[in-house]
Amino acid sequence: MSPRTGRVEDQLVAFLPNLRRFAISLCGSRDVADDLVQAACERALANAERFEQGTRFDAWMFRILRNLWIDTIRRQKTAGVHEDISERQDIAGASGEREVEARLTLKSVSEAIADLPDEQREVLLLVCVEELSYREAADVLAIPIGTVMSRLARARKNLADAAGITGENMRSDIVHGAKR
Amino acid sequence: MTTEFSDEILMRFADGELDPDTAAQVERAMESDDELVTRVAMFMETRAAAKDALAPLLEEPVPDHLTAAVERMVAEKKAAEGPREPSEPADASVVPFPRRAANDGNRARWIVPIAASLLAALGGYWLGADGASAPVGNTDLVAVSDPGLVEALRTVAAGDERQLAGSNQRFRAIATFRDNAQTLCREFELDSAQSSTVISVACFADPGWRVTFAVVAPADSGGYAPASSTEALDAYLQAIDAAPPMTVEEETQALSSLR
Repeated sequence: MSPRTGRVEDQLVAFLPNLRRFAISLCGSRDVADDLVQAACERALANAERFEQGTRFDAWMFRILRNLWIDTIRRQKTAGVHEDISERQDIAGASGEREVEARLTLKSVSEAIADLPDEQREVLLLVCVEELSYREAADVLAIPIGTVMSRLARARKNLADAAGITGENMRSDIVHGAKR
Repeated sequence: MTTEFSDEILMRFADGELDPDTAAQVERAMESDDELVTRVAMFMETRAAAKDALAPLLEEPVPDHLTAAVERMVAEKKAAEGPREPSEPADASVVPFPRRAANDGNRARWIVPIAASLLAALGGYWLGADGASAPVGNTDLVAVSDPGLVEALRTVAAGDERQLAGSNQRFRAIATFRDNAQTLCREFELDSAQSSTVISVACFADPGWRVTFAVVAPADSGGYAPASSTEALDAYLQAIDAAPPMTVEEETQALSSLR
């Protein structure tokens, strides 16, 4: 008999906003994201007994959702469907001219995140936004921790370049001793 | 003396993922290396910027249909797990159970646990023990379709018991009353094989009965539900402005009018 506290079914509804945010950022469309969230919840409930008490529920849910998303992409590719589900207009704003504009003006941070390669974006979301550790992110993505680190570093350099983040804003914090 | 730190090392430092010895080295180097400070700051700033940029998504309301769908799946999952252990409080866990009765108005939705035994009694649904349940729409969930239960609701007088036809469940009629929309409703209890009791209210909506309230309570005293589970019922009855229970004569007349 599993403990009654921390059960998947008791945590799921409260976690929906986070799960939905991750899904939207991952797939770039609210409609697709909502379907994805619902499917992830269904799968989580069906496999609730596999959730280990004492481990992070959010990481477990992110893994389920992300795996479903990967499945979706694969299916769409093999089915030859070219609906542009990866067009990230919902978070970045639709802009066919984005490439051109980017040379002229800096992107917003959310646009820049949306434009990252998938593998860089997902690791950035997990670590920087959802605050998973590298180890936890590695588990969610089923990749070595070294790969998490290299992708995350590249993601952040790309984000910094695209959105004009230099580090100058936080420099003074560090200099004044507000180090982590 | 320039110690070379890779971007990865500096990122790990910024994220607090660096071992203490190396972290101390980075800190020392930063004291005299402005460029190094800026590189570390870039990693801190990108993290903060990413978090800020996506914070509004968290504030966005989850669409009602999504919440409702997940709540329903959770309810089904809990129902499939069956009655709670007798040692646990009867009202410890709640799930939403939308009322479908007439005159719903702005009334808050009722939050009640549903027992697997009740689902079985109502429509012959049995959710798999592995939790893999077929989708059960709300309409199916609340409509009473078990012939034995339909018959019992129609004929058993308040205070009487009966073994449901084709089932090992005992049906006990508690009371008959009308709600604020003058709908005929019956309070009843079902004892299941797992020695739990479902306290339920069903209201007649032509052509059949619909369950508007259900709570499962462990039957630890000869099949009668403990008082704690009836508190939810009392609150529910109050919310629908239930009229006082009918007399035997009124009940007989009301039930016979259904035939």
